[in-house]
Amino acid sequence: MMNQGQIVTNHGRQIAGRVALLAGCAALLAWVGLPDMALAQEAAPQAPTAYRDLPYVGSRNLVWIIAQLHLLLAGFVLGVPIFAWLCEIVGWKSGDKRYDKLAKEFTKLLTSSYATTALFGGILLFLLIGFYPKLMAYLTDIFFPSFLVYCCLFLVETATLYLYWYGWDAMAEGNGKKFHIFLGLLLNVFAFFIMIVPNSWATFQASPVVLAEGSDFARAWAATWNPTWWPVNIHRLIANVVLGGYICGAYAGIRYLSAKSQEERYHYDWMGYVGNFIGVFGLLPLPFAGYWLMREIYQYNQQMGITLMGGFLSWLFILQAMLIGVLFLGSNYYFWLGITHRIPGSEGQYRKPIMAMLIILLLCLAVWMTPHSLVASLEEAQKMGGTHHPLLGVFGVMSAKMTVSNLMVLVTFMSFIMYWRAGKEDSAGWAKAAKALMGGVLGLAGLAVIVLGVWGYFVPAIIRINYFSTSQVGIVIFVMLTITPLTALLLKSAKTTTEMVWGKMPPRAGYALVLNAVMVILLMTLMGYARSSSRVHWHVYGVMRDSSQYAFSPALGYAAALMALNTFLFCMLVAFIFWVATMGDKAKAAASSKGSVEPGAIPAMAGGSPALDGREAEASKEQRPV
Amino acid sequence: MSEVVKLQLIGLCVIGLGTVILLFIKGQFLRVIGFVAIVLGLFSLVALAVPQMASLPPAEESINIADIKTPTDMATIGQKIFFSKGQCALCHSIGPSESARCPDLKGIGAKLSREFIFESLTEPQAYLYLDYRHEGVPKEYPARMPYINKNPIGLSRNEILSVIAFLQQMSGEPISVSPGELDLPRATPAPVKAADTGALAMAQAR
Repeated sequence: MMNQGQIVTNHGRQIAGRVALLAGCAALLAWVGLPDMALAQEAAPQAPTAYRDLPYVGSRNLVWIIAQLHLLLAGFVLGVPIFAWLCEIVGWKSGDKRYDKLAKEFTKLLTSSYATTALFGGILLFLLIGFYPKLMAYLTDIFFPSFLVYCCLFLVETATLYLYWYGWDAMAEGNGKKFHIFLGLLLNVFAFFIMIVPNSWATFQASPVVLAEGSDFARAWAATWNPTWWPVNIHRLIANVVLGGYICGAYAGIRYLSAKSQEERYHYDWMGYVGNFIGVFGLLPLPFAGYWLMREIYQYNQQMGITLMGGFLSWLFILQAMLIGVLFLGSNYYFWLGITHRIPGSEGQYRKPIMAMLIILLLCLAVWMTPHSLVASLEEAQKMGGTHHPLLGVFGVMSAKMTVSNLMVLVTFMSFIMYWRAGKEDSAGWAKAAKALMGGVLGLAGLAVIVLGVWGYFVPAIIRINYFSTSQVGIVIFVMLTITPLTALLLKSAKTTTEMVWGKMPPRAGYALVLNAVMVILLMTLMGYARSSSRVHWHVYGVMRDSSQYAFSPALGYAAALMALNTFLFCMLVAFIFWVATMGDKAKAAASSKGSVEPGAIPAMAGGSPALDGREAEASKEQRPV
Repeated sequence: MSEVVKLQLIGLCVIGLGTVILLFIKGQFLRVIGFVAIVLGLFSLVALAVPQMASLPPAEESINIADIKTPTDMATIGQKIFFSKGQCALCHSIGPSESARCPDLKGIGAKLSREFIFESLTEPQAYLYLDYRHEGVPKEYPARMPYINKNPIGLSRNEILSVIAFLQQMSGEPISVSPGELDLPRATPAPVKAADTGALAMAQAR
């Protein structure tokens, strides 16, 4: 069995090996590859090269794939520490070691995924410098001070990550644990800054501001504070939590499907629950952050907003509605499976509310997916009197879509509350009053959202956007902030009537978790395309025009094919990272089952419960020959 | 065979492959890959079923100063510069707007003389607002307006005069700048590309 020192050395070698590989690839690419590529210079031979191309593949396609993979990996690398840190805090506060093990195992993934993200970041940088030298010179000129800040952030983030990971066992108890949690906080704070610095470069491209004269730092600072910077920061932060949660869920789902023993099924069922919970936790406020971003885009430049919502990208939002709808359905379905399979005897009790919620979700999804203008032949259009359907056309406008998205968030929130309360009986004297209050709040909120939605048809757009839509969002947030603490208070004194039984979920639950993760990844790729395409033929919107042969934005079908490819490649990369990171555990588990270590004491992957470990230890003692 | 049909065929093949894996393969990881392939294939097919619209870039504007014959020509060029290279519309609106960060320029050509507009563009700090609403030395409010004749925007004198012509025309005023005031190019006329010459000049200068 390897001791800690050997493990540390091996990890060090692994990381050193990856860094060497990264440097080698970069040097090879820079020295051999790029100068030999077919050049598509648009200027005279003496003029500086503005663009280079890659034969057959195309520079844009390659940059698209690498940038997307880098971004998804970065989202994963930034989402997992939030996920792990939250789990560690829950484990520390509740004393449930399962959470601590889960947090530790996911932090282990960080070391390898961090290196992979950096590798793709390095490749992306070289490709951008090679393919878009003029644009990169322009951006470097503006943002150079922030490049330095970015490098410094990477140094402190790496140091903190090493301390956080390698110090886990050494800081497991007492004040050491507190310091370790503080390190986790630092890790997330640095990670947040690592995210927002490059966000400033990308958002400046979409919403540039005029840069007055001043010091380099002042100009970089002015460019950083562009109108869409904070909306994107907040949207990406929440989306990363969602990505981290759902990927954890998908991993658990796959392991659950291939679990050999009841113990494994138990562990991975529980892990899937935690992943889905954190994913939904992030998913609920995500539409609000998206709405804020869209509102800022409209405020910044109405034309850009129209390009997104009413121009050539308008059909993209139908696809987005489909993906979000499937994600909401998948998340709710997993909750409902949990209620009916983990809590014995509850199938009949919850069938009706589940059916009602399913019908509401499907109706909402149908409205959300209704396009503003229908795809119709000339004859059909003549019969309809235009491309707007006389009846369905009503559902194609923003007022309807804002209403149903808020209702879907409300239903998902209620699904979660129902799952939370399942198998428990209220014993507090004020329980009846509290439940009546919650029911009233929910009913009134639903009604208010619908009334505002219908009213929105009869007022000018600016009033709807500024007052009605924001009120709808405010109402839903109010419901969450009222019902969550009330439920927590109720459950504090509630009696558990039926214990949850883990490991009883049907295989389709595992597939539901995988589906949710794929939906989130597809959504990220889709919205990345939307953000990039909203700049249309500009590298920097309204400032630096794209005059390359790729200045056009491809149609949705072609883009979707690339998105699907990127999603698949990302899934394979993550699977590879998980496989590599857990290879040692599997070997250890196999060795320990043959050796002297207590079986069941070390699960193959996180999730071993103290109770379960105790049971296994008891069982192993019973089986041991006297 | 069109690109859409090719992509649809690829999507169908991916779905078929995923289905075959789910039907005949027992290994769970491979089955999950098959499931993911079906989901991604379906997504691609749905995306290919909606109207396929690409966004093509408009032709690049190339303005030759030698072609300018009348003040109206100048105003037309000024309008293009206002919305592209000049970046004026990034902050200013023409007419009331909630998103405008700087003064509304509607009617500005009637309110201000061409000399004052020229000075506002090239010497934005010439006049400062002073706040006397407190004790002691008045607080200065430097203008947020950048120097339009310097990098990164870097409009030439000709371009600034064209913008002034546009502002006057848009305000319903007679245009007081004439093509005769324009500096003639020394050699080949420098085309005013939509926006990128300023950026390139800035990158080169630095």
